[in-house]
Amino acid sequence: MRTVDLEVVRSLYKLPGAVRMKLDVVPKFKPGDRVKARNIHTSGHTRLPRYARDKVGIIQLDHGVFHLPDARVSGQGDQPQHLYSVRFSARELWGAEAPCKDSINIDLWENYLDSV
Amino acid sequence: MSSNDIPGPDSETALRVKALESLLLEKGLIETSAIDELIDMFENRLGPWNGAKVVARAWTDPDYKDRLLQNGTAAIAEMGFEAVQGEEMVVVENTAEVHNLVVCTLCSCFPWATLGLPPVWYKSAPFRARAARDPRGVLDEFGTQIGADTELRVWDSNAEVRYMVLPERPVRTEGLNAEALAELVTRDSMIGVSKVASPD
Repeated sequence: MRTVDLEVVRSLYKLPGAVRMKLDVVPKFKPGDRVKARNIHTSGHTRLPRYARDKVGIIQLDHGVFHLPDARVSGQGDQPQHLYSVRFSARELWGAEAPCKDSINIDLWENYLDSV
Repeated sequence: MSSNDIPGPDSETALRVKALESLLLEKGLIETSAIDELIDMFENRLGPWNGAKVVARAWTDPDYKDRLLQNGTAAIAEMGFEAVQGEEMVVVENTAEVHNLVVCTLCSCFPWATLGLPPVWYKSAPFRARAARDPRGVLDEFGTQIGADTELRVWDSNAEVRYMVLPERPVRTEGLNAEALAELVTRDSMIGVSKVASPD
């Protein structure tokens, strides 16, 4: 095992740790599209928060192509796909008593979403 | 000298850290210079003073502000702050009509390059749950007033993107330059749990 020396630490500061993939993948959704988060209950790793499952939101931003963490951590490869910021109204998530204009934006991979 | 000034025994955490450090050094897994560099990085180089400079420039340079809101990663990199949890940045603007609040409901993701390490409360389960479920209640507890008509947008940094709030420029700051403005900007205002106060 390599000793952690000054050079290793300095490379941490400069090395991009991001997982953006420079791949030309056709996006399935575009801003403005209505989508529903899948109601999946994996025992493995996922970045789909429980509170968003089975809820309908609107695509706000297409962040570009990233590997799917669910797949990578379970040894199923990168499965590169678009990551979107999806806006859910507070009322969709928390019911009619929530303030009507409030919302939560959640970053969700294509694998988590179905068209509505 | 009061009795409060006499140092007591180290806390259990401090002792554990010292033991771990000794072991890592003795086994040759890390060098002292690397530890010093890491501490210097997180204590002196990565911190909210970086984000404050970004905010102050956006307040004083409209073209920069446009670039920042269009492509946060590139505009922040222009200022020299990149990598280490700043590779994918989106900056969201607070206005009279819209207030933004950032949370990581799944863990503690935070834009280190501009804001440093997250505060303890940001990582706590109650904040993570309530920023999603009852964000207005959270703001109220931070003493932050937003109108009932204001649109509240919460950003869950549950994936690869890190979010930073561009707070509203406070009143009575017309005569201040970017350097003086940066002094006013707090970490919490860039998370969105508070606003930037006017100078005294």
